[in-house]
Amino acid sequence: MRRYLRLVTVQFRISAAAGMAYRSDFLLEGVMTIAWAALTLLPLAVLYDGRASVAGWTVESALIVMAYFMAVKAALEGVISPSLIDLVERIRTGAFDYVLLKPVDAQALISASRFEPWKIFDILGAIALAAYAFHRRGLGPPALADVALGMLLFVAGVLAMYSIWIMFAAASFWVVRLDNLTFLIGAIFDTARWPVHVFRGVWRFVFTFIFPIAVMTTFPAMALLGELDSDTALATLGGSALLLVLSRLVWRTAIRSYTSASS
Amino acid sequence: MIRARDLTKHFRVHKRPPGFVSAMKSLVRRKYEVVKAVDGVSFTIERGERVGFLGPNGAGKTTTLKVLAGLLHPTSGEALVEGFTPFRRQTRFLEAITLVMGQKSQLIWDLPPSETYAMNRAVFDVPHDQFKTTLAELTELLDLGPLIDKPTRQLSLGERMKCELAAALLHRPHTLFLDEPTIGLDVAMQLAIRDFVRSYNTRHEATVLLTSHYMDDVVALCPRIIVIDAGKLIHDGDLRGLIKTMDPDKRVSFTLTDGITDDELAKLGTLLARDGKRITLRISESELPEAVGHLLGPLHAADLAIEDPPLEEILRVMFGKSKEARAGEPPP
Repeated sequence: MRRYLRLVTVQFRISAAAGMAYRSDFLLEGVMTIAWAALTLLPLAVLYDGRASVAGWTVESALIVMAYFMAVKAALEGVISPSLIDLVERIRTGAFDYVLLKPVDAQALISASRFEPWKIFDILGAIALAAYAFHRRGLGPPALADVALGMLLFVAGVLAMYSIWIMFAAASFWVVRLDNLTFLIGAIFDTARWPVHVFRGVWRFVFTFIFPIAVMTTFPAMALLGELDSDTALATLGGSALLLVLSRLVWRTAIRSYTSASS
Repeated sequence: MIRARDLTKHFRVHKRPPGFVSAMKSLVRRKYEVVKAVDGVSFTIERGERVGFLGPNGAGKTTTLKVLAGLLHPTSGEALVEGFTPFRRQTRFLEAITLVMGQKSQLIWDLPPSETYAMNRAVFDVPHDQFKTTLAELTELLDLGPLIDKPTRQLSLGERMKCELAAALLHRPHTLFLDEPTIGLDVAMQLAIRDFVRSYNTRHEATVLLTSHYMDDVVALCPRIIVIDAGKLIHDGDLRGLIKTMDPDKRVSFTLTDGITDDELAKLGTLLARDGKRITLRISESELPEAVGHLLGPLHAADLAIEDPPLEEILRVMFGKSKEARAGEPPP
């Protein structure tokens, strides 16, 4: 365990150093982060223009979903995708061999291999947005228990996202070229900015059980708002745990079939 | 210690003829072929030995190394390295070995090698003091000096390879699998790497299994060689023994200031090369004393050198024979 803690610390320091190796990129990324945050809110403003609520969600509650969306997206773009894009690249070039030669769990080593430290600003932005939404709502700050559950479900949501990414990335052990993976996952994940109740019929089913954006943003937001029943909270945690176990199984099968690229 | 017993590794590869039609066909029905990359190889290498692993391209050298390093599951047979079954990839096994691949890099591209070293220190859980001592030793042996603080992308190929070696050895492994560690390097750098491998081997009594396209590496470093071709072991023994059985004749080179005809030379041995006044003959061992006496005496030969036939030549003959033998076999 000590070995893993030290490893994560070193990787974080190295990623920060790598990020700053190109100074202009670092500044540009910072500016882009702020611009993206502003753009994210635009569709919401358009949708709620002249409407009091959409699918039972007021604009304030929808802003909480948006805050969760920003935070999960920050985790996705800050740790999950950079690390797993790196994995896909290493499998393609055969440098993944060096990962398997290390005496630590390969999935653990690769899952935290890249960080984009400035994404922390997105998380701060998400917290500010949630605070603004609560202020606008005018019912006072959320109860402490709701904040705790909301944070727990945030972790569950990030793990669900991570599990899905791992399963897609593991496919690159067989398929090798998966250049558009980030775009595909990014595009599907974009729907997570809306409460799941906005979708109907088959889409709601898909976004609750198949690509569970409900688990990633809607349910955590409802928890923070004090509107989530305990059954759904438990199901959310269970669903996320199930995805995690499933992704581990897929990963292990993939490793076994890894035959390593050219010598 | 390394032991391989009847080791095989087969790959199932998708095969299709060129052209658009066959590409379309292969979408529906694929034809597969089993490639026997390693086909029943057995050998044992004792602790502290330096062994050269030779074979033509595609002979199965890298595949064997990868099986021994735990990167590939063998199809059948047994591999045992430092008392461990490699493919289980137990922590203590991975701490005891290293694999250096001349064509792949583990250094972080945008950062100095020192960052990769820090990372490997964490991964291998190397105590701080040991890390400092080992790094100091490697820095001295490989003459790393200022290199470790320069971004990897600014290093030359040779400098990078030296830093790669250090990264692979920071945890002081006992078994070194070196796959083409000198590929693409100039002669001076090749010599430096060779010296380094030899002194690491002596200092730590490390076992070394080396593949290289440069026969000089093998001749200089490895008293014993294992040769494989088409996945099968075709020779395992000491280098001099191999040369003696395959081609016991010596190569004698010398310079003659006086003119001499090819016919006169043919009386001494087989003429291999004549470049101005520099002549190379092939002379059997039994005739060697007399021929050399004649050359140095009446013929006044200068700069005379007696050498074994080059390893490349021996291997070419060997692979040729092995190919002929395969052609004679009934198809599987």
